Amino acid sequence: MIKESYRQKSENDLVKASLDGDKQAFGEIVTRYQNMVARTVKGMLGDSVYSEDIGQEVFIKLYHSLSDFRGEAKLSTYIQKIAVNLTLNEIKRRKRFFSTFSQKGNNEMYEFEVADYDTEEKKEASELVNKALMKMDPKFRMIVAMRMLQGYSTKETAEILDLPLGTVLSRLSRAQEQLKNILGKL
Amino acid sequence: MTIMKVTDFKELLIRSLDKDSDPAAVSVKIEEAGATFRFSEGFRDKVLEKIYSSGSAVIREVEFVRSLNSVFYRIALSGVAAIVILLISIFIVQGSLSLDSFLGLGDGSDESIICLLTGN
Repeated sequence: MIKESYRQKSENDLVKASLDGDKQAFGEIVTRYQNMVARTVKGMLGDSVYSEDIGQEVFIKLYHSLSDFRGEAKLSTYIQKIAVNLTLNEIKRRKRFFSTFSQKGNNEMYEFEVADYDTEEKKEASELVNKALMKMDPKFRMIVAMRMLQGYSTKETAEILDLPLGTVLSRLSRAQEQLKNILGKL
Repeated sequence: MTIMKVTDFKELLIRSLDKDSDPAAVSVKIEEAGATFRFSEGFRDKVLEKIYSSGSAVIREVEFVRSLNSVFYRIALSGVAAIVILLISIFIVQGSLSLDSFLGLGDGSDESIICLLTGN
């Protein structure tokens, strides 16, 4: 009953209530946006438990920066920006770690575990997308994750990634070429 | 997934990056085909526990970094204030901010310095 009332609340009401210390209100924000964050984080880092940690960090950072959210942009855009920044930081951290401590190169940076799927087809589809994304250059992968997994338009992608529209368009075209090559080999 | 289906799915993935495609519609199709990304069960509760439990390491780490930042700013501000006061006092006492003034030699003649150093 209480959960139902939170489901009907607007984004701004949930933010205000969360700032007042309402745990359930912030819980509703997490419920609403966790799949969106999962698509960004897991799309860019691979489907592993480590991605869950980054996902949790996204919401913890959101909680601590809620007072900075002025409601000028959509809350989803604000959360996406946090998710993209934390994921890019993690990619940089992994690059540094693996270039220092590993001889095997970048392939092991993006190990993933395949979750339980109700059909073999879905499992294969998920594996295919994961493998293709992890073989892509991170700067293209970002664009692909926004477009292919989140369904954002070019304009929305540019806004979230803080990139000029022209850059997004050119990367999109190069990402498509790279994806064709990768999928051809899989 | 049959070979044909795999080919279709790959085509769908490539088409999703077409500039003229409808990204929202294509992403729904990709998700329906099975490429779903979800966090595990209980993700929400884990996040809330980390945020609202006072003993959480993450929160403590965030708090530590925040207090470290505020301490750093306080030290930096006091340092800057001390430097400004020092510069003002040197200027007042020595009348300029030259290297000699910094070394305290601004108002001494060469002879008096030699006398000071040698004792003669």
